[in-house]
Amino acid sequence: MPQLHDVDYTLEYPYTRTTGPVIGPFLTGLRDGRILGQRCGDRVLCPPMEFDPDTSATLEPDLVEVGPGGEVVNWTWVAEPSAKHPFDRPFGFTFIKLDGADTALVHAVDTGGDPEAMSTGMRVRAQFATERHGSIADVYFVPEADAGDQVIEPGDEPVAITEHLIGLRINEPLYPHRARFAQGLLDGKIIGQRSPVTGKVYVPGRGYDNMSRVLMSEADEVVVSDVGTVVAFTELNPVQYYGQTETEPYVRCSILFDGTDQPVIGIDIRDMTVDEMRVGMRMRCIWRDPEERSVEDIDNRYGNIPEAVYARFEPTGEPDLPADDLKEHSW
Amino acid sequence: MVSLAEDVAIVAFEQTPSHAHFNDSEPAMIMPCVNSVIEQVGIDRHDIDFTIAGSCDYLSGMPFAFVMNIDAVGAWPPVYESHVEMDGAWALFEGFVRLQSGDIDTVLVSGSGKCSPGSYREAFSLQTDPYVHAPIGLDPRTQAGFQAQALIAAGKATERDFAEVVSRSHGNAKNNPYAQLSGDLSVDELLAEPYVQQPLRRLDCPPTSDGAAAMIIARADKARELCDSPVWIRAIDHRIDSHHPTLRDLTDSSSVRIAAERVGLHDGPVDIAELTVTYSPEEIILQDALGLNGGTTVNPSGGPLTGSPFMAVGLTRVIELARAIRNGDGRRGVAHASSGPALQQNLLCVLEGES
Repeated sequence: MPQLHDVDYTLEYPYTRTTGPVIGPFLTGLRDGRILGQRCGDRVLCPPMEFDPDTSATLEPDLVEVGPGGEVVNWTWVAEPSAKHPFDRPFGFTFIKLDGADTALVHAVDTGGDPEAMSTGMRVRAQFATERHGSIADVYFVPEADAGDQVIEPGDEPVAITEHLIGLRINEPLYPHRARFAQGLLDGKIIGQRSPVTGKVYVPGRGYDNMSRVLMSEADEVVVSDVGTVVAFTELNPVQYYGQTETEPYVRCSILFDGTDQPVIGIDIRDMTVDEMRVGMRMRCIWRDPEERSVEDIDNRYGNIPEAVYARFEPTGEPDLPADDLKEHSW
Repeated sequence: MVSLAEDVAIVAFEQTPSHAHFNDSEPAMIMPCVNSVIEQVGIDRHDIDFTIAGSCDYLSGMPFAFVMNIDAVGAWPPVYESHVEMDGAWALFEGFVRLQSGDIDTVLVSGSGKCSPGSYREAFSLQTDPYVHAPIGLDPRTQAGFQAQALIAAGKATERDFAEVVSRSHGNAKNNPYAQLSGDLSVDELLAEPYVQQPLRRLDCPPTSDGAAAMIIARADKARELCDSPVWIRAIDHRIDSHHPTLRDLTDSSSVRIAAERVGLHDGPVDIAELTVTYSPEEIILQDALGLNGGTTVNPSGGPLTGSPFMAVGLTRVIELARAIRNGDGRRGVAHASSGPALQQNLLCVLEGES
């Protein structure tokens, strides 16, 4: 029998950013094994900036090589690295004043996991990653004595765009009402919640009635019909954004199940074309066999019925309901 | 003294306990707070002129998560509504400014955050510089570690001073039913704990918390009509330091000093200070920059070291101060909220009871 699961997913966004006249050459330098600072009066800023940090005046791009050696002027030991840190073993995050620069760069120092090797005033040297992409993560630092000589092959074009894939891992149990909704689907039942104030039935329940601002519990839950009426539909033509898994057009609809007051949105239809869909059309859920049902796609956020529990939705053949009567539910 | 177009008072407030994990949605967490403040003043939801919330979509792990939160404040019939991707204290600031125009009477303010499903270290590393900081995961705890080390290097504080802040905070939290952590911890016990972010130990850092808070503020006449003991907001100010930690003096806070001047902090006695001390060294910096002396009780609630639902925690400081003033523990005080790493952004709010 299929089991309920914790919600565990990673929300990712691939950010691409233009680099501009100062950060561009800086990131190009890192890719090519050099660290550049920006002149600002008689000072050199590293990391370089497009503006004077004291006056905010625009600075004309005027870059000069600094490092690769430098001095640690502040540090803290990261005993428990996060998934986004440069190293997966403990390391030092530091302020490094690179030779030739007057301001400090924040970066990571790898001492092989030894916090005793860290001190203010220690000498460090840049090391470049084997694979470099024109990013601040192309470089890291080690104690000067541990530094090796590197031969870095420069790239071709200047770095005009830098890419940063951000990701946040979300991990929590299904909320109690979501777990009961999911278990209902595994059992071939659609569970809703009836508002104790208005009597309206919401599917799936959200644990509250947002119209009356009242929390709802298991005592408010009802099993609703798996026959309903199409209240809205559209054809999706999948745009190939990052993370898209669909390639072919398909129909997505909203169905108002009999005896409920809120349609279930995002029900996907694979065996009918958009021309065959009508608002008012009566549809019945044809469930998958119990052992084939999965609620793996159920999370705590979105309210639809996942395709992994139904084989298809099938027209009942009953006469359509008048579309006008469904206006309140066309969503 | 700050000159205001309209006097504004807090007339109702509510907060959830700081939960290690709240096993339901953010709207379900906020809703009881909203219902409580509306009940406290005995008005209908639709008598509220403006609602504003503070929360963080990255923390929730869902685009437009803040829209769901409107479920908790009641969005039908349509309401006049706003949101800040900041702590609820900044929602309060916008509500306070909104009331200055004089055309509306009441504002419902809320703040909420669930840190437990994700990693706040990873989420808040995304508010750092996107070119030179975020891609190496520069997180708030690391920046607090820099700040602690800078204090030690400058001879302004020791690890024992940090432990004293923790010990006092946990002791104070014993009287706070909303606190997540509390108890008697000796400084020596604390110093015997291992580092998690040298020179910081586990309890120098905040717990992972879920929570929400809500408040109703009103213009003077309405405030007196709605409530017997309004707590007056005398001034609010928000100032920002550079987001490059290497370009500012981490042992001091120029933004707090400017804000303190702007709110006229020392134009009257400061009986109580509720400060967003997310990491223990921050209290040492804040006390100094605020010019507090022995006459001020600092964080009688225990502060964020004993419960830190990000995005609600700053608004909760204002609530804790308002409650203390209402209880007669003091007549005038300051609430502080922070945003960004290592006290990069600071908001001060001066509250005063009825004269």
